[in-house]
Amino acid sequence: MKKGFYLRLALDGMRKNRRLYLPYLLTCAGMVMMFYILYSLAYSPAVRNMRGGSTMAMILILGTVVMAIFALLFLLYTNSFLARRRNREFGLYNILGMNKGNLGRILLWETLLSALVSLLAGLACGLLFAKLAELFLAHMAGETVGYALTVEPRSILAAVLFFGVIFAVLLIVSLARVGISKPLDLLKSEAAGEKPPRANWILALLGLLILGAAYWLAVSIEAPLTALTVFFIAVVMVILATYLLFIAGSVALCKLLQKNKSYYYRSDHFVSVSSMTFRMKRNGAGLASICILATMVLVMLATTSCLYFGGENALRGECPYDVSFSLYCDHPEDCGPEAPERISELAHTLSGGREKDLTVYTLSGVSGLFRDGVLEMDGYSRFADLTSSASVLEKIRTVYLTPLSEYNRLMGTDYALEDGEALVWSSKKAYAYETLTFKGCEPIRIRGSVKDLPFRVPASETLVTMYCLIVPDWTARAAELHDFTAGLEDPLIKSDTLQLCSFDLPGVPDEEQIRITEEIVQSALDEQREAGLSFSTMSYKTRAANRTDFFSMYGSLFFLGIVLSIVFVAAAALIIYYKQLSEGYEDQRRFGIMQKVGMTVKEIKSAVNAQVLTVFFAPLLLAGLHLAFAFPFLHKIVRLFGVLNTPLLILTSVICFLAFALFYVFVYRSTARTYVAIVSAGEEGR
Amino acid sequence: MSILEVRDLRKVYTSRFGTQQVEALRRVNFSVEQGEYVAVMGESGSGKTTLLNLLAALDKPTSGTVLLDGVDTASLPEKDVAAFRRDHLGFVFQEFNLLDTFTLEDNIYLPLVLAGKSHKEMAERLAPLARELGIDGLLKKYPYEVSGGQKQRAAAARALITEPRILLADEPTGALDSRSTDELLSLFAQVNRRGQTIVMVTHSVKAASHATRVLFIRDGEVYHQLYRGKDTNEQLYQKISDTLTVLATGGEVR
Ligand SMILES: Nc1ncnc2c1ncn2[C@@H]1O[C@H](COP(=O)(O)OP(=O)(O)O)[C@@H](O)[C@H]1O
Ligand SMILES: [Mg+2]
Repeated sequence: MKKGFYLRLALDGMRKNRRLYLPYLLTCAGMVMMFYILYSLAYSPAVRNMRGGSTMAMILILGTVVMAIFALLFLLYTNSFLARRRNREFGLYNILGMNKGNLGRILLWETLLSALVSLLAGLACGLLFAKLAELFLAHMAGETVGYALTVEPRSILAAVLFFGVIFAVLLIVSLARVGISKPLDLLKSEAAGEKPPRANWILALLGLLILGAAYWLAVSIEAPLTALTVFFIAVVMVILATYLLFIAGSVALCKLLQKNKSYYYRSDHFVSVSSMTFRMKRNGAGLASICILATMVLVMLATTSCLYFGGENALRGECPYDVSFSLYCDHPEDCGPEAPERISELAHTLSGGREKDLTVYTLSGVSGLFRDGVLEMDGYSRFADLTSSASVLEKIRTVYLTPLSEYNRLMGTDYALEDGEALVWSSKKAYAYETLTFKGCEPIRIRGSVKDLPFRVPASETLVTMYCLIVPDWTARAAELHDFTAGLEDPLIKSDTLQLCSFDLPGVPDEEQIRITEEIVQSALDEQREAGLSFSTMSYKTRAANRTDFFSMYGSLFFLGIVLSIVFVAAAALIIYYKQLSEGYEDQRRFGIMQKVGMTVKEIKSAVNAQVLTVFFAPLLLAGLHLAFAFPFLHKIVRLFGVLNTPLLILTSVICFLAFALFYVFVYRSTARTYVAIVSAGEEGR
Repeated sequence: MSILEVRDLRKVYTSRFGTQQVEALRRVNFSVEQGEYVAVMGESGSGKTTLLNLLAALDKPTSGTVLLDGVDTASLPEKDVAAFRRDHLGFVFQEFNLLDTFTLEDNIYLPLVLAGKSHKEMAERLAPLARELGIDGLLKKYPYEVSGGQKQRAAAARALITEPRILLADEPTGALDSRSTDELLSLFAQVNRRGQTIVMVTHSVKAASHATRVLFIRDGEVYHQLYRGKDTNEQLYQKISDTLTVLATGGEVR
């Protein structure tokens, strides 16, 4: 009986406040659903069995963790919003003779009910949509999966446990809140927001400074990988600054406007500016949250979609030919023409004559630190990765030697050079020195430069500056370099000598390309064993096989970007909705007063509209600004992933921003109806 | 010509679905001359607020007319009504109706700002008024920081700063303690003495006893009126009480 009583009170409270609770429960259920989907995909055997499935699973697990942290924080926030609205009711119960224990029991029931409803609804939808999500993911990764619906007990358990903990935390927080408050405070707490806001100039200025510094940091980052920590610091600073600006900065700005008497005391500014001050104080945190969520969505979608749609591009950069064989020679003097010729023949016969642009060329190369025309190889391996700082990366060069005879044959030119001379090709700035010296070898005199190479260079080679020297005495030069580097103490420094045999197979399906390549490899290995083809090792790369790897990674990143965006956007929508509600209740009263003092309904509506629009669209604009300043960094990140397509990134950024803005307007418009309903209900009541 | 003339005013409220009708006012006729201080007395629910809302054109009568300076307010379009209200009428309400986002000063300026006055002019008008109403030390405070009496005086200042033709007051003392009530009533009498026309509705005998004329309203009808003549406040108070007693015992009022 007693128990039923508290349950009834809890149910009653939720029903009476359904305008607040319904969206809250929907959000909770949505979070449960998304969590279940991500978790079950991360551990789904179907995903693991795809090509690159382990990468995908890792990305998905990462996404689940982000999702989980976000769910906890966001539900804490919404719960505190609900609590503020409910406190009045609790204050009343308290004064009517309920002690805090009784209130606690109401809260307990409320939490249990919320948990039950959101878990049931969320899991039901999760089960339904997980398969859909799996199909979608598979499609993006260029894979196929079966249509059989599976139930993942393990994922259900994980969702129940995780959200059980979240709801327990929410309960504890609510209990603590009721526990420490006095009944009168409870009654008052909703009206407590009426104190006039004070401008906190220090915090406002701090916000500006931090934002400026964060932007500067983000823009000045040069090596994205080493600077990842720097970027995270910038992100934290941006978040902090956004909160400071929305909470303190906005109020300070309003106060500044109020100080300007001839601006403030005008009919079109007077009401807007003064009530804006209050609105900002109440909504600052919520708006800052919307801004942060919007920024996250924009950054995620812009980069992941750029990677996904730029993937083919990146793939072409990474694998400039459909099929490419590298034959490594032990020593430059062993590099005979037989092996690449044989591979070319095999390619021709096994592909049925469909090979195009077959190119064979010989390279010998080494990387080092470059200074004033001298390449220093010794000790270079300490820096030899991409995590090096920008200033070091600047100094690194990869230098290749290629025979002049081959160049002339492939390009149809007839350059003539003396021994010890070279033509140079540079991947970036033109080569500016008279000579190039591999430190410890004879200097090579640069006779001129060429614009084109007879073969396509993989994009990853050009992340650092690459020179290609075209030399007439290739064997001697390469041997000198080889012998010198072999004598160095550092075993990581060695010059590679290889012959490349690359070709395209236009119009041949991916699977067949892979098969043909494997046949060539098999035959070549057989012949090497039997007839002694002269190469020490052989490696090969097909664009077709790389494509699946690329798209399983970019596809799952994009997928995760979309899923998390949906979650964040839903969260932003809920905050907007709650803001509209509380704004509505506030304005209901003001509306009446202003009318009595002599404003027309139209004037009031336009004043209120102006404010509400400013309030809601400020976060969107700031999010756009954040995105703009994050752009250089994002650009470097996608470059690192091999997508060197700047216009594409600009395009995806702009499209994402526009799409998000459109969606935002939609949410705003539909929630504005609640606002209007509340305000006009007040009008009738007068 | 009378400053305000009410002819055969009738107001019927219809519930949302038209199922119920309440006749809040019927056959109301009276006029107010320049410089008068008229109190409209009646029980709660007798139609006082309805009457005041009609006078202020905040609501439209079912039939009958309200002439303010000879203008039929009900016939004006919405946007002119608002301007008319702003320029010709001042309001004081029982629940103060100050905007809590404004300081008292800005609350008082509100109608002038809407009328497009310069800040200098507003400040010049406010200074003497604030002194007269005894709120000159409170202007920078927000409504939540001051007492009910002070809020009501600020509301009176907001009503008077436009130098309205008529000051309309709806139970202005209803939410005040007795000391603040006395202060406010003597302020009203004082501004009336310098020529301000006032129409105040109230159910308080004490409030009504400050007026120069008292109208009695019951069930939506004006059924009696008293003139002060040469009476003091106390004598008028006595007469009002007597009238109400006669009414309560069911007798006819002579
Ligand atoms: N907006 C309204 N809709 C319906 N009935 C109303 C409305 N306003 C007032 N009434 C009714 O009209 C009558 C007079 O109300 P009112 O003028 O507020 O009285 P008073 O101000 O004297 O207390 C009451 O019976 C009240 O219920
Ligand atoms: Mg009333």
